[in-house]
Amino acid sequence: MDFLVAGFFKAFELLISGDRSTWSAVATTLKVSTCSMLFSIGAGLPAGFVLGYFDFKGKRQVRTLVDTLLSLPTVFIGLAVYAFISRQGPLGEFEFLFTITGIAIGQTILAFPIVTAITASTIEGIDNDLKTTLVSLGAGKRNILLTCLWEVRFGILVAAVTAYGRVMTEVGISMMVGGNIKYHTRTITTAIALETGKGQFADGIALGLVLIAIAFIVNVSLSFLRKQ
Amino acid sequence: MTTTLPTYELTGIRHYYGDKLVLDIPELTIEQGSITGILGPNGSGKSTLLKLLAFIEPPTQGQVLYKGRPELPFSPTVRSKVSLLTQKPYLLKRSVIENIIYGLKIRHDLKNHEQRVQKALTTVGLAYEAFAFRKWHELSGGESQRVALAARLILNPEVLLLDEPIASVDIESAKLIRHASLKARENFGTTLVVVSHDMQWLNSISDKQLSIFQGNIFSTGMENIIIGPFDGPDKNANLVKHLNDGQAIFLKSSDKKPGTAVIRKKNISIDLEPQADHAGLNQLSGHIASMLLEKKSGHIMATVLIHDLSFVLRITPDQISLLHLYPGKKVILKFKAEDVDWI
Repeated sequence: MDFLVAGFFKAFELLISGDRSTWSAVATTLKVSTCSMLFSIGAGLPAGFVLGYFDFKGKRQVRTLVDTLLSLPTVFIGLAVYAFISRQGPLGEFEFLFTITGIAIGQTILAFPIVTAITASTIEGIDNDLKTTLVSLGAGKRNILLTCLWEVRFGILVAAVTAYGRVMTEVGISMMVGGNIKYHTRTITTAIALETGKGQFADGIALGLVLIAIAFIVNVSLSFLRKQ
Repeated sequence: MTTTLPTYELTGIRHYYGDKLVLDIPELTIEQGSITGILGPNGSGKSTLLKLLAFIEPPTQGQVLYKGRPELPFSPTVRSKVSLLTQKPYLLKRSVIENIIYGLKIRHDLKNHEQRVQKALTTVGLAYEAFAFRKWHELSGGESQRVALAARLILNPEVLLLDEPIASVDIESAKLIRHASLKARENFGTTLVVVSHDMQWLNSISDKQLSIFQGNIFSTGMENIIIGPFDGPDKNANLVKHLNDGQAIFLKSSDKKPGTAVIRKKNISIDLEPQADHAGLNQLSGHIASMLLEKKSGHIMATVLIHDLSFVLRITPDQISLLHLYPGKKVILKFKAEDVDWI
């Protein structure tokens, strides 16, 4: 157990001293996860709204597909993205393999169904009287849409936070598509996997603490926003 | 001389949810500036009728004329003139003031909005300082109902449709809602259509009462509904409804499939003793459960309990005095077997 305690002390030392490799992994993680979240929310929010609000032919089948994609293994996404962006793949010419962009593409695919499915469920849960109330107050289609989205803002925040948690903690896509290149595509999770494999527990614990701190900050922010 | 067009004229309305006919209204007129009360049990079509009047749903068949004009497709203009307060009013997840000015924001009409909010809140009996900045979840049921009403009143609608506005509020709130509704008509000539289970409250607010049962409107107000199953027909071609206390109601059977019987209150008379010669006449013994003054006609609306069936009938003050009627008194209700409508 001594090595774990020593690891904790070393972890704080690494973080406080501004260890370059540790903070590089943190920066890469934040960069890539923010990018993938922006894209997945940009696409998933309207898709979830359409899926939850409107009735159309094949809606149930689409819903089943989106729900199935929720449990998509990250290594499978990693494999599929790798196949597409590797040199012989259809998107090979863009040279996304072993880049942050490549990881972001994979993580967007991972987060998109989460944002879509939770947004759709949230929209489906809207009180039936809301639309009647809005129409009876004179709201047109645009106002109804915007007000409905605003009314379920906490549900949408939950969708975003859930997706963010999944993206931040995944290893498969970052490892396969990013290649775990130090100072370049190494993320917190791939660094933890690597350092633990090498027996460098302090580095792993330091990065683990950062992950927990980020999760804590996100949840505290969510709780603060709920109160507003 | 100019004639005022009725606010609503409904003709040939048949409205379905799937295959189920939920409203069947051959004709209905609601005059401008009137207060129309609608009574009826749950699931009778009251809320659906209000949705048609609010231009939220178009009728499956038939036409709704608003001030003489057919309104289909619904224009934003007509929708902005009519406001519906639903049974469980939905308050937006915002402060009270933001809820009240939502409709004004849509209309880009925020001039002097604070004073207008203050006035609207005062009309529904809420103090601006105490309530304007409260969050939606900091209100009781009655306060929410009144805030929702204030959000409609501030728009000065031509028509205000209230769906069970006092269903879950205390007596004080019910009084304030009544006061605010009457004030809207007085100040702006608003036409009101109010749905409620509470006959006494409805009677205190409305000029005219309608009742609705299984989608059928009765323009004469509350009528007596007798739901099957019925036995028979007997040798006189009457269908019979047996009551558990041994009494029976005989009703002339219809050519069409008998479903539910309607006995109009105008066809029911009240007495203290049964009549000896009573061929074709129902004579049912029961007790007066309640008596309610109809302010407009000066008549008394009495509810008589015949075992587990409740009958309403209109009695003149002279009859009350002659028969010494009072709640709890044992009486005999009389009506002919042939005085029945089947729906």
